[in-house]
Amino acid sequence: MPEAILPLLRGAIATLEIATCGTCLAVVLGVLAAVVGQAGAPLRALVAAYVSFIRGTPLLVQLLVIYYLLPRIGLDVTPFWAGVVALGVNGGAHIREMIRGALTAIPPGQTEAARALAMPRFWIWARIVLPQVFVLIMPPLTVEFSALLKGSALISIVGYVELTRQAQYQLATSSHPYAVLVATAAIYGVMCLAVGEVTRQLRRTSSRRGVAI
Amino acid sequence: MTFDSSVVSYGLPLLLGGLVNTVLFSLSAIAIALMLAPVVAVGRLSTRPSLRWMATCYVEAIRNTPFLVQAFLFFYGLAALGIRVDAGVAGIVTLSIFGTATFSESFRGAIRSVPLGQLESARAVGMSYRLALQRIVFPQMWGYLIPSLANQATGIIKECSVLSVITVPEVAMAAQFVIGETFAPAETYAMAAVLYWALTSTVTGLMSLANLWLTKRRRQNLAASLGSPLELDYTEA
Repeated sequence: MPEAILPLLRGAIATLEIATCGTCLAVVLGVLAAVVGQAGAPLRALVAAYVSFIRGTPLLVQLLVIYYLLPRIGLDVTPFWAGVVALGVNGGAHIREMIRGALTAIPPGQTEAARALAMPRFWIWARIVLPQVFVLIMPPLTVEFSALLKGSALISIVGYVELTRQAQYQLATSSHPYAVLVATAAIYGVMCLAVGEVTRQLRRTSSRRGVAI
Repeated sequence: MTFDSSVVSYGLPLLLGGLVNTVLFSLSAIAIALMLAPVVAVGRLSTRPSLRWMATCYVEAIRNTPFLVQAFLFFYGLAALGIRVDAGVAGIVTLSIFGTATFSESFRGAIRSVPLGQLESARAVGMSYRLALQRIVFPQMWGYLIPSLANQATGIIKECSVLSVITVPEVAMAAQFVIGETFAPAETYAMAAVLYWALTSTVTGLMSLANLWLTKRRRQNLAASLGSPLELDYTEA
């Protein structure tokens, strides 16, 4: 059992890496979807379909579609990048919903005032709206990070060596396979609880400032 | 990129067969979770520290670990301990344990959405804790509970796909079989995704209908009990 701990911790670092990359892509896609979703009707319908499809299908199936589809459109990707794209596309839909909620909390007078001053639309988003949106969605964003952290376990299926895959390797050679599984679950638990603590702190500070949504 | 239509004609019946299993597995897990979750939720809100602590540990352990690892724990873990279980049984057990934890959070939120004063008044007039929950708290929490449960129920249906990894014969497993014959993984998994989408959309649609019906009935009940002017017949007065 002790000899399995180091590889498991290395796996945990790989899990953190892929979850972090996935969350970054998810933020980018979520912001894009939110901005595009505020535009005309056909684009809004497109974004709504994207969100509904992602929220209505399992991450596992999304991952497998992406993993097999990307090479078909000429992108020869490694399991790592297929995983990042899957986490990003999945998280993007959730983050778009968070941003949509946060947008209602920002007084319309601000964008109206900016438009009256002839501020370009890009700068209205970049300097007026989005900075406030990010303060608002910070707590749910950390929740999404821990969801993607757990979801990243599925990337082991397409062959990327992260915590779960590493656990399967250790399982095969260890004399105490059950202990390896329990240790794996415990490592995930510690990571998610730590993220949960960050969420709680963020919620506390934002409710003290009176900006909680 | 081309799309091979023969994959659909060959694969769709098999995937639909898998979808039936997905529905069966999810429904049994949802049924079990619906029975156990209120107990866990009441345990988490209990004033007895031991009960509260146990319920909290259980829910937090499930919510903070990936479902895939839980499935491994119950399937390969039990096998390693010498307990042989059928993949289907292990699947339902894992899904129920997962579902109970997520449902219990919905129930906990729903119970807490009813003002505490209601429970306290019921206790003050001599109702037992159990009766007060049954007659006063539970009937008032549905408006909060139904949307939340609908969300978690689609979560259970989606997590069901992960059970294909421990060889439970549902959609994702059927997809692997189809791919073995057609060598068209992208098309097959896309088809599986559409089937899942149809299923979860149906569930959310049904749940929002149920919610509408409940809201309407509650409003009628309220109007009747208050003797709202709209419901009263003034002709005799």
